[in-house]
Amino acid sequence: MKASHAPVLRVKDLHKSIQRHMIVDKLSFDIHSGEIFGFLGPNGAGKTTTIRMLVDLIKPTGGTVEICGHNVQRNPERALKHVGCIVENPEVYNYMSGWQNLEQFARMMDGVDEERIREVTEIVKLEDRIHDKVKTYSLGMRQRLGIAQALLGKPKLLILDEPTNGLDPKGMKELRAFVHSLADEGISLLISSHMLSEVQMLCGRVAIMDRGKIIAIGKIEDLMKEAAGYVNWRFQEMDKGVAELCRDPRIILRNGPARDILPTDTIVVAMPEAIIADTIARLSSRGIGILAVCQAEPTLEELFLTLTGSEVHA
Amino acid sequence: MRKLPALVQNEVLKLWLKKRFVVIVLILFILIPIFTYAEHKVVSNHREHFADWRNQILQQIADLENTLSSDRIPEEWKRSRRVAVQQLQYYLNHDINPSEPSGVQFSREFLSNSITLFIPMLVLAMGSDIVSGERTTGTIKMLLTRPVKRWKILLSKLCALTLYVSLTIAVTVILCYLISGFVFGYGGWITPVLTGFRMEGAVIDSSSVHTVPQWRFLLMQAGLCWFSAMIVAVLGLMVSVLIRSTAASLVTMMSAIIAGTILSSMSSSWRSAKYLFSVNLGLTGYLEGTPPPIEGMTLPFSLIILAMWGAAGLFVSFRVFTKGDILN
Amino acid sequence: MKTTRWLWYWLAACSLLSTVVLLTGLGMVLNDLKAVPAVSETKPSPSAPSETTSEERVSLGNFKEIRIVALGDSLTKGTGDATGKGYVRQVVDGLKKEFDKPVQLLNNLALNGMQTSQLGERLSNDSGYQYAVKSANLILFSIGGNDLFLSARARMEKKEWAMLGMDELEQDMEETLGRFRSIIDQLYELNPSAKIVYMGLYNPFYDLDNLRIASLNMQQWNKEAYAVIHPYPNMMMVPTFDLFEGRIGEYLSSDHFHPNHEGYKRIAGRMLEALD
Repeated sequence: MKASHAPVLRVKDLHKSIQRHMIVDKLSFDIHSGEIFGFLGPNGAGKTTTIRMLVDLIKPTGGTVEICGHNVQRNPERALKHVGCIVENPEVYNYMSGWQNLEQFARMMDGVDEERIREVTEIVKLEDRIHDKVKTYSLGMRQRLGIAQALLGKPKLLILDEPTNGLDPKGMKELRAFVHSLADEGISLLISSHMLSEVQMLCGRVAIMDRGKIIAIGKIEDLMKEAAGYVNWRFQEMDKGVAELCRDPRIILRNGPARDILPTDTIVVAMPEAIIADTIARLSSRGIGILAVCQAEPTLEELFLTLTGSEVHA
Repeated sequence: MRKLPALVQNEVLKLWLKKRFVVIVLILFILIPIFTYAEHKVVSNHREHFADWRNQILQQIADLENTLSSDRIPEEWKRSRRVAVQQLQYYLNHDINPSEPSGVQFSREFLSNSITLFIPMLVLAMGSDIVSGERTTGTIKMLLTRPVKRWKILLSKLCALTLYVSLTIAVTVILCYLISGFVFGYGGWITPVLTGFRMEGAVIDSSSVHTVPQWRFLLMQAGLCWFSAMIVAVLGLMVSVLIRSTAASLVTMMSAIIAGTILSSMSSSWRSAKYLFSVNLGLTGYLEGTPPPIEGMTLPFSLIILAMWGAAGLFVSFRVFTKGDILN
Repeated sequence: MKTTRWLWYWLAACSLLSTVVLLTGLGMVLNDLKAVPAVSETKPSPSAPSETTSEERVSLGNFKEIRIVALGDSLTKGTGDATGKGYVRQVVDGLKKEFDKPVQLLNNLALNGMQTSQLGERLSNDSGYQYAVKSANLILFSIGGNDLFLSARARMEKKEWAMLGMDELEQDMEETLGRFRSIIDQLYELNPSAKIVYMGLYNPFYDLDNLRIASLNMQQWNKEAYAVIHPYPNMMMVPTFDLFEGRIGEYLSSDHFHPNHEGYKRIAGRMLEALD
């Protein structure tokens, strides 16, 4: 996927502090053309703030954002020409028709004519309702109108903030197909989400954010591998069980900052798959009541545990 | 700069499609006939009681003088009445009827009565949510992520507001003329009107008093109305930039303006109140020669004070709008 | 795109036009501020209708309509009458009953506290007063009371009873009479064809022992005033002194100077009897 020319988006040392509180801390990453880049992290991790800095809604405290070689802060007119975005919900003017909305946005860009408006309307399949007032649209239709306006200026980079919020499964499927078709046309996409499964299906590369920092960045499969090998245990008597587990040196207890997002009576350990059966037998012979043993699916939480628990490696 | 007309077009269409202007025209359509009727009642009442406008003015003078002789009336009130007496006397001496009913005269009266409260209210009804409204609905994010500099966006909003202020005042005058003319006749364009009264304490300096045809007077009044409405619009824009909630920004501006009206009617001994913008809004009073709310205020003074408030408002709004983060 | 484009063109054209017009207006104001032209002192003298040129005997019965102007001091204004009518309104009402023709009170220009000097000045300088006098055919007026009683009244309000004395009443009688004479001359000059009624003075202090004697001065004044009025065939004087003597409590208002409603009613009655 790596293109030889300059990246579509280059973020360098981007940080933002509000009232001495660091919201986003020294981010650096690149997005190349045709790439679908995922931005993953729990709510409040600083994803939205970062995205707003990318499109000049928030002025960064330091660092630079370059889009197609143009600095967003210094030269927003040039830089933002190449960006289409939906920040959070697709906000459009309710008192206008879809068409009038698109006209509004078209007038703010160069070289967008009526023909282009018609084109994007067809792309998002809104032809039938485009002249109705937006008030009467469903959420999905608004989403599509939002995408239509983002596509108006033939952007090189499309930024979608939580695009699947409020979509039904069918809508999500459509969106997925749509995103892939855009990427095939050479458009880069930046998609933020707090749902791993979504990012997994959509994106080639992801950055994982937590507390304003990127804690991991890379291909999604590579990251997932790190999350493997976790087992969740539940015991009748927690202390005894933990003590017994720890006797085996191959079993490592995981106590990370993201510990609190798991049920409190569950113990997470890292251990090779091969010794699970033996360990169960060993514990049972010592009279420890096992309530549940479960190999952890690589979810966002698990991935998180890995990353936050083993920061040194990340 | 090439994009600016398109941006202004956007803002003008937004305001239009929000049906703001239609509401204003509707309000005028309801209010003007009511005032026309009231004025008609007053006129016919005078006709009944006075043979001639001169008798009416004479009586007015006599009544004012009788109140002047009362000790119970505060000195500040007496000041304005003394001035009124001198003015009426002047009209009488020059044989000019200050209020010959006609469509033009009614429009003139309507403007001078609405400059301090009604027209600012209309302007605010239109423009107080011009920025805060976009914040509340979140569309500001769409607006500011376009490849357009922020100051251009705010400037386009200001331009659109200016156009609508002009349109509002023009429509007010035209509707006044058309509706009241139906009752009072469509004449009165060339009726002479006295202007140029200057206040020296409680005495009128009549050395600069001269007559102008009523159409010219009306035009001058409308110009002054426009000026003070623009200042209100600019300050409304500033408040709209500073305060997120539309309701709060509307209330802030309205209370500032109403406070000004109250302060002016108290003609308080708090003399530095004359530096507040809302005390200075009644510019048309200077043309007619009504004594200013606070002694020492003149037309140039008020114009300068208002212009300074406007400049400060513009500075703050542009500064905050171009630098501020959009967090919600 | 078509509809909004035309809408935009229209809005832009109209609003730009009105902006330009309004800016012109503002420019006019600024221009007006700079250049202060000389006063256009074209004084078109108010042309007043004068119905009948001088006639020997003026009778209300000859007028097509009766137009009344009232001049003078608080007595004409009706101070003290709780209903606000004074004698003037009651005369108007009475005339309306008596004559089968329109009766209109053009103006009641009376001012509280007016003295002969002020009335004289207004009649000679104030074109409005002149206009009013010219346009009326019945003029009711009262004057002189304030000249004669001012100091006495001021004393009375301060309750300085002991200071009240006759000397003050006598003081300015001569000068006041002179001014009264010129007022009468001016009235005749302005409108020789109108019926002019002067209300004679009364002594409001009849019940105060040390001021009962003022009645003599009062009579002196009334006599002199009558002498002034007498040569003019269109003028008459209505005496009022006898109405109040002995019935101060009944007919004077609480300020012990002005008549109350009943008092004014009696004055009006006198006038109505005298007017034909």
